[in-house]
Amino acid sequence: MATEKLELLILKTLAATSLHGYGIGQRIEQRSGGVFRVALGSLYPALQRLEKDGLIDAEWKPSDNNRRARYYRITPAGRRRLAAEVEDWERVSAAVTRILKAT
Amino acid sequence: MLKKLWRRWNEVWNADRLDREAREELAHHLEMEVAERVRAGADAAEALRQSRLELGDVEDVRERLREGRAGFWLDSVVKDAAYALRMLRKRPGFSAVCVLTIGVGVGASTALFAVVDAVVVRPLPLPEPAALVKVYDANVSMGIERSGVATGNLADWRRRAQRFAGIAGYYTMGRTLTVGAESEAVLTSQVTEDFFPVLGKAAAVGRTFTHEETAAGRFNTAAAPVGLDPVVVLSHGLWQRRFGGDPGVVGRTVSLERRPFRIVGVMPAGFAMPGPDVQLFIPWGLAGDEPRDQHYVSAVARLARGVTLPQAEADLRAVAQALAAEHPDTNQGWTASLVSLREDVVGDSGRTLFILLAAVALVLVVACANVALLSLARGLERVHEASVRLALGATHGRLLRQFLVEALVVSAAGGVVGALLALAAIALLERTQPGLPRLDEVVLGPRAMLFAFAATAAAALMTGLPCAWRWARAEPARDLAGAPGRVAGRRDRHALRDGLVIAEVAMAVVLLVAASLLGRSYQRLGAVDPGFDPRGVLVAPIFLDMQSYGRGGKSRSYYASLVQRLEALPGVVSAGGATALPASPLGPDFERPVWPQEIPNDPRVRRPAWVRMVTPHYFRTLGMRIVKGRAFEERDSPQTGNVVILSQSMARQLWPVGEAVGRRLVIDYSTAGTYPYDVVGVVNDVRFGGPRTEPRREIYLPHAQRPYLVMNVAVRSAGEARYLVPAVRGVLRELDPGMPPHGIQSLEDLLGATYSRDRHAMLVLSAFAAATVFLSLLGIHGILLHLVRERTREIGIRTALGADPAHLCRWIAGHALKLTLAGIAVGSVLAAASARALSGLLFGVTPADPAAALAVAALPLNALAVSLHPAWRATRIDAAEVLRAG
Repeated sequence: MATEKLELLILKTLAATSLHGYGIGQRIEQRSGGVFRVALGSLYPALQRLEKDGLIDAEWKPSDNNRRARYYRITPAGRRRLAAEVEDWERVSAAVTRILKAT
Repeated sequence: MLKKLWRRWNEVWNADRLDREAREELAHHLEMEVAERVRAGADAAEALRQSRLELGDVEDVRERLREGRAGFWLDSVVKDAAYALRMLRKRPGFSAVCVLTIGVGVGASTALFAVVDAVVVRPLPLPEPAALVKVYDANVSMGIERSGVATGNLADWRRRAQRFAGIAGYYTMGRTLTVGAESEAVLTSQVTEDFFPVLGKAAAVGRTFTHEETAAGRFNTAAAPVGLDPVVVLSHGLWQRRFGGDPGVVGRTVSLERRPFRIVGVMPAGFAMPGPDVQLFIPWGLAGDEPRDQHYVSAVARLARGVTLPQAEADLRAVAQALAAEHPDTNQGWTASLVSLREDVVGDSGRTLFILLAAVALVLVVACANVALLSLARGLERVHEASVRLALGATHGRLLRQFLVEALVVSAAGGVVGALLALAAIALLERTQPGLPRLDEVVLGPRAMLFAFAATAAAALMTGLPCAWRWARAEPARDLAGAPGRVAGRRDRHALRDGLVIAEVAMAVVLLVAASLLGRSYQRLGAVDPGFDPRGVLVAPIFLDMQSYGRGGKSRSYYASLVQRLEALPGVVSAGGATALPASPLGPDFERPVWPQEIPNDPRVRRPAWVRMVTPHYFRTLGMRIVKGRAFEERDSPQTGNVVILSQSMARQLWPVGEAVGRRLVIDYSTAGTYPYDVVGVVNDVRFGGPRTEPRREIYLPHAQRPYLVMNVAVRSAGEARYLVPAVRGVLRELDPGMPPHGIQSLEDLLGATYSRDRHAMLVLSAFAAATVFLSLLGIHGILLHLVRERTREIGIRTALGADPAHLCRWIAGHALKLTLAGIAVGSVLAAASARALSGLLFGVTPADPAAALAVAALPLNALAVSLHPAWRATRIDAAEVLRAG
């Protein structure tokens, strides 16, 4: 999966609630109906990039199983980016769909 | 924004913690995954295996996260530096040469920068120095751009000018200072009330002069100033030297010309106005009746706040114009001219230093080029190494960085060596070049350190980039095909090295041309006829005091018997005295207006003339020529008519047609009246301020008719002047035991000091030129040796096939010649361009001087000479061995 698309999916996932890394992976897998299986090697570098760009925040919090986990949260800048990306994605995919459907 | 910075900070400095956290996070992820599978019913071990397989290697991800952090590059630079140090330790000789070469380049340029910074760039160590100006009198119709200020006008300027915070006058001359039993000649400045306030400096100990003290100070060039309670302010240097820095010195008394003076204060260290040699200050009160036609006082002023120099000049010129209308006899045609004090103090030495700084930058560039060449030459093995690393997956950028870090390590070591060398050079400079203005302020301060740092960084780039560029472009497929040392020489690889050598030779040519031009110019300066012959002449300043010698012609009889006794000494050809000697800063020297008696009352024929009182044998002693008429004789006495001798140019100006001898000249003594003099002789012109200066308009009067207390005596010896010193000292002590002799030196030394700047500039540039020539020859030698090594196989095969050794030598020498000639061609163009910058320093030499061409022409010969060793090495290549190894 292209990295920008993964980043878009992470932002979308975090827009609903803050999650730790495993939770993000799970959520993406569920929502995609098992189509996307996110490997560690793509997920964590993508989180690092998003954090560096200030689109997400992270902090250590106790997790459900009483262990410490790093929870990621979307920032206002992240929400703006998400909105822009979604709009862009919809426009592009609509266009691509039109072209593919044309005979 | 802040958050981002904080993040970066953490990434750089808390990399370890972040790394641990990443591991924890990844472990957590994996655990969750395993737990999920176990919950779904899988066996624990199988779940772990599956998870690992699916999620990817945790360590690998951790590595990738580490690389993504900001501090990552730093980490690897440290690794590169450690690697570089290992590489350098492996080749201590090579490393030492590189470090030293860069060290010398950085050191020399830093030392010179410190000097330029202190002497030229940094403002004077006075408050708000930009508002300080020197004031000069000027007279367009007489062709006088800048002369001393007339005292009478100075008083009016102070009163009338609006746009000045203050205008101060001062007059500097040598006087005899006696502290305890010891006497010496010191340079003193008599200063008006505004002097210290204008400069904005208070005394470090005690105080400067009060209004009353200044008002009481009378001006008298011939003797000590009078006044009821004479006071002095000491310079910091004199205070340290004669009083050991005793803070209780205020209130103590010293003798100046045998009169007691009370010390009221000491100026702070670093106060170097009007000059670093001035050691004593005496107050000078303007009475308001001073002459308006004797232009010999120096003036310094501070502009009022917000006033520009042109505005202030216009202001002063308006006052001068009003004065010219009020006093047409004395002031017609005279106006004022302002120069910023900094420019006045720094003067020509600023240009000289900038040229030297440019020259030393060239030396640095050549030094770096040489290090780059050395690195390139030993670079074959590095190309191999680079190829291996590229083949193993290193990126080109990574390699480039590593080589640059290596260059940086070498340069940093060189920079440290350079800073130490600069410290030593500055210490040496302070000891050997006391003539440079404000040299005592040169320190290796933060600015010089910053410069050293920049020079080091530049050196790193200059030495690192060529090699890094070459090595990082290594191509494994090509370079690894052969064994190390057998990389076939392809044309484009030599272009870089050849270019460096050509650049080096070009720089050497530029410096050679500059140095030989300055050398020639210095030679010319020495060859200029100053109008007198300083060889074998000894001079000594004598300051008789007013109390003992002021009355009854006592000074006349003192000097008459002094000259008589000196001439009686064995080995003395003749002796004489003059109030002011050429090239000497000591003694009263002043101008008076003069005109031909037959044209009275015409301001247009009035000329200011420097007046000097001389004894009869003065001209003979200095080796001057009587052009017309006669010299002074014993018969010119107070009882006979007043006589004068003119310098040639003075005579020409006063009487453009016809003979001057036999005419009468009027000298205007201002308030003391005007007196006619019979012109009895014309003597040749003298370059009073040294060979670079034009002769002044001078007139000479017999000392017997116009006795002065202060004289400089000159003694011409039949042999070496210095052998006479003890005898002259003996005569002086015998004549007046209360006046210990001091300041005896040879006239040659005095004259030499007037163009010592030229000598220093020439010597320094010659050293630079020699260094660059040496370095560029080293470069040629290195590149040829390398060429031979690189083509060992080819040469071996050719030799085996019966090639002629002579042909081999021709090939190598030809290469050397080709590079040198290309360098000369480039260098000549650059030299022609830079010779213009040099023209202000040159004297009687054009940039097209053959000496420069000759010096450059020697380069190819030297290049051929250094090609001998590589050629010899080439002929020694054993064909059989090479072929076996192949």
